[in-house]
Amino acid sequence: MKARGSRAEGRSAWTEKVLPTRLDVIRETEREVLGRLEALGYDEDHRFAVRLAVEEALVNAMRHGNRMDPLCQVRLAYRVSPERVEIRITDEGNGFDPASVPDPTADENLCKPCGRGIMLMRSYMDEVSYASSGREVHLVKYRRHAAGA
Amino acid sequence: MAGTEDDIVRVMDRGGVTLVRLGLDSILREAEVEALGRALAALAEVPGQRVVLSFLGVEQLTSRVLGQLIYARKCLEETGGELRLADIDPRLYEVFVIARLDRFFRIFEREDEAIASFHKEAEA
Repeated sequence: MKARGSRAEGRSAWTEKVLPTRLDVIRETEREVLGRLEALGYDEDHRFAVRLAVEEALVNAMRHGNRMDPLCQVRLAYRVSPERVEIRITDEGNGFDPASVPDPTADENLCKPCGRGIMLMRSYMDEVSYASSGREVHLVKYRRHAAGA
Repeated sequence: MAGTEDDIVRVMDRGGVTLVRLGLDSILREAEVEALGRALAALAEVPGQRVVLSFLGVEQLTSRVLGQLIYARKCLEETGGELRLADIDPRLYEVFVIARLDRFFRIFEREDEAIASFHKEAEA
């Protein structure tokens, strides 16, 4: 895994990494991102959501985007501020049309394997958007303080 | 570090009900998902298997796990068996609800309740 360093943008800096297309690097990557959340005092609900979304996005990038081709890479950029977490994940695949993915919660799709990861990302993150013909996903989670905290 | 398959999936008999517990890690990932899928598929080879899958200690899962569970349920039902789930952490349960799978699976608070439900049905 190659770190490409950070570049400042406003008050928080983007950290950029280039990951090989190997599922075993996901755990270490998540640990690093979640460490930043923990350091800034994000609670377990936020960490659960971000971990789930990062896992789904990286697995999608490697499995569906790069089709597990070891010659392809995944680019990860993230920045964590006290107010929000932003993550960009880019693969080197052919892209896809997110609108064409069937709703996995529809009765007729409940037993089908596709679309559940995207649906979970959309459920747990505040913003999920795609660029580069579906090769890049941008995830945002805003911090919400627990009532009475 | 990867563990052995027996570390990941532990299969036990509880009075004719097969209890499957997940070990090794609190987070189900690819290696664990593959092992779980193989274990559940193997159980489906024996007709009429009644299986309780306990999520005790599991703190995170992925859409791939949900896919494996759906597939396992289908395989078990094809051979006259059934899969029931138990001990699901509230945050994980919410994932099932969001995916509308809380209606698809019979989910119990504790594994002993799930096992007892099979025994009760067998007695009736």
